[in-house]
Amino acid sequence: MATASENPSTPSAKIPLYEGSTQFRHWRFSPEQLAETRSIMNANAVKAIRDAFEADSAGSSSEVLFLSADEENLLVKLYASKVSQLCGHFRFPEEVEATAVTYLKRFYLKNTVMDYHPKNVMLTALFIATKTTNHPISLEAYANHIPKTLPSDVLDLEFLVAQSLGFDFAIWHAHRALWGMWLDIQNLPDLRMDELRQAYEIALKHVRASRLTDAELIYTPSQIALACFSLASPSLASAWSRSQFSSAPPSPPSPAPSPESALLEILEPIKSMILNHGVLPDVEAVREVDRRLRLCKNPEKVVGSSAYKRKLDEKERKAAEKRTRKAERIRKAIEDGDPFGTALKEQELDDDDDDDEEE
Amino acid sequence: MDAVEKANAATQRKWAKDAKIGEGTYAVVYKGREVSTGRQVAIKKIKVGQFKDGLDMSAIREVKYLRELKHQNVIELLDVFSSKTNLNLVLEFLDTDLELVIKDRSLVFLPADIKAWIAMTFRGLEFCHRNWILHRDLKPNNLLISANGQLKLADFGLARDFADPGYKMTCQVITRWYRPPELLFGCRYYSTAVDIWSVGCIFAELMLRTPYLPGESDLDQLKTTFRALGTPTEEEWPGHSKLPDFISVGQFPRTPLRDLFTAATADCLNLLNKCLIYDPKKRISAKDALNHPYFFALPYPSHPSKLPKPAKKVSPLEEMDGNVDHSGPGPAVRANPPNKLKRKLSTAEGGADPRSIARKLDFTQQSPG
Ligand SMILES: Nc1ncnc2c1ncn2[C@@H]1O[C@H](COP(=O)(O)OP(=O)(O)OP(=O)(O)O)[C@@H](O)[C@H]1O
Ligand SMILES: [Mg+2]
Repeated sequence: MATASENPSTPSAKIPLYEGSTQFRHWRFSPEQLAETRSIMNANAVKAIRDAFEADSAGSSSEVLFLSADEENLLVKLYASKVSQLCGHFRFPEEVEATAVTYLKRFYLKNTVMDYHPKNVMLTALFIATKTTNHPISLEAYANHIPKTLPSDVLDLEFLVAQSLGFDFAIWHAHRALWGMWLDIQNLPDLRMDELRQAYEIALKHVRASRLTDAELIYTPSQIALACFSLASPSLASAWSRSQFSSAPPSPPSPAPSPESALLEILEPIKSMILNHGVLPDVEAVREVDRRLRLCKNPEKVVGSSAYKRKLDEKERKAAEKRTRKAERIRKAIEDGDPFGTALKEQELDDDDDDDEEE
Repeated sequence: MDAVEKANAATQRKWAKDAKIGEGTYAVVYKGREVSTGRQVAIKKIKVGQFKDGLDMSAIREVKYLRELKHQNVIELLDVFSSKTNLNLVLEFLDTDLELVIKDRSLVFLPADIKAWIAMTFRGLEFCHRNWILHRDLKPNNLLISANGQLKLADFGLARDFADPGYKMTCQVITRWYRPPELLFGCRYYSTAVDIWSVGCIFAELMLRTPYLPGESDLDQLKTTFRALGTPTEEEWPGHSKLPDFISVGQFPRTPLRDLFTAATADCLNLLNKCLIYDPKKRISAKDALNHPYFFALPYPSHPSKLPKPAKKVSPLEEMDGNVDHSGPGPAVRANPPNKLKRKLSTAEGGADPRSIARKLDFTQQSPG
């Protein structure tokens, strides 16, 4: 006998799809949270790198001018804009481009540019995006088309980038939301198609500009899309908003603002964000940051430096210790006359397990 | 150690890996448990180092979709972590799969049991489709079953989203016996209907206890399909003869489903029929299927906990060695199970040849603007 929950037509997920997404659950911040996330990350990075300098030679960090969170962000923004150029070169669809930009921004909420230069991360983020959006290209072809880039440059960071993204690969994009809105709007009465089309094209430009801002880390894709539409044509945007609420039951007369005006209200900060920050960063300012970055990047990440070697040695020492312990366990098991006992069982079955937990 | 590496190591420590339980095309599966609770899990370890293009497409698809999909009838991805050059997916542990259930000759299926399995399949699938995700590899082996009898869609290594209107997709998907005729004819613009056809084949297989349309090659698959359901006419499936790989394989009359499925109710055959309609546009949707009278008529679907299950869990390792004979008595399967196409797909939907990148992206690119 079927119980209520067994009723085949019972939808088990009542929450809107977007709200169940990893984007909604893991990657949305208030402006304050976002600023705090970045400044904590930056402070921790500076401390760690300062320690690395000091370990190299005492007192050597006092002269170093580390990057601030804002300066890091400026550099990331520059490379976000380069994604677009690269995608044009490869003729990748917009989805690839938008996804790569999102990956790049998310990466730098967890990592500092002083450890990983955005140029490299950008190349890897874009390569991953081609795969996650189902437009894969061979690594060789990809690297061949980018000057001074080897396949290994792209691949070396792939795991780190995927990890930093928390393996949340699916992205909800504002340009998609805008496209849906555009289709919806066509159903409204008394519209001039050419006017509408023009508004859509302008809105799309604003969506693209929004990729250079923090908008997607703060607002939903449809909020951003509507803000862009509103920038392109305030009247069309409010007509669309009204149509969204017209299907809802009429609310009792009250002094409170109508739902659509509340909706249009929250668009204001998005609009000003896009207009004020959706522009390329000043070249001189970026150049200055990049110049300083050369002096303050983490020596442990510079292949060949003594700090790098020391870190490598440390890793090797730990691995050797682990091997010794393992050998010891096996020897003991054999001594105990239990060669197939518990100590060995795991390795026996796990013949190709080459990655026991790190200690 | 970087914060990201630390977080990864912390995730890794939450899960303990025990004995190996199986091996797929691109992964080794271990039994595992959550250290803090002892909860049993499966850990699917994907070797990444072996792929020259880095993280493998199947792994990426599986992670991408399972991270978003949380539903009772979709396998749950509990965690993801990496270790050296491996990617580890922590999945809920599932006892068995529908293929093993179907092949266990000691089990008797009641009509209510079949109804329950099909309802759970449709529920999981409806959720995927509602999320704009095509599974593209539905077959009994990819429908896993939990200890309490819940059926879960698994193996999202071929899945993709279809939100993009009119996007060209590869037709080299879905294991042959469950592949709809539009894909066999090379159709590149398809949708949710492809998964529905697979469910139809699984539905029939549950009743027959043997694969319904076991073609021995892609061409034979068409013949096998048309022999069972009749050669489609231009009337019932307009435009099919214009599909890229259309080929005429002869005229076969349609045998009424009733002749083969003698014990089925009228409702049951009506739904089965709607899953196997040739014209993809007319094929039933998962949502409509769930509202079909079949599910509301007596007998009601069995409670999951009451569904038949293989008594002894056949070790997947034994199975791979070929020590276990699944064929047993009863109608024998004529053809060998078709090979997986997963690996080949890696580049099938995108450009691979550097010289052709621009051209390739050109005609796949149907930009919405
Ligand atoms: N969640 C799970 N719980 C229990 N066992 C599992 C689980 N997932 C996989 N297995 C076991 O591991 C085996 C390998 O699984 P996997 O999904 O990697 O490959 P497959 O489906 O058998 O083959 P392919 O990769 O070709 O699709 C399965 O046959 C099954 O026995
Ligand atoms: Mg499988």
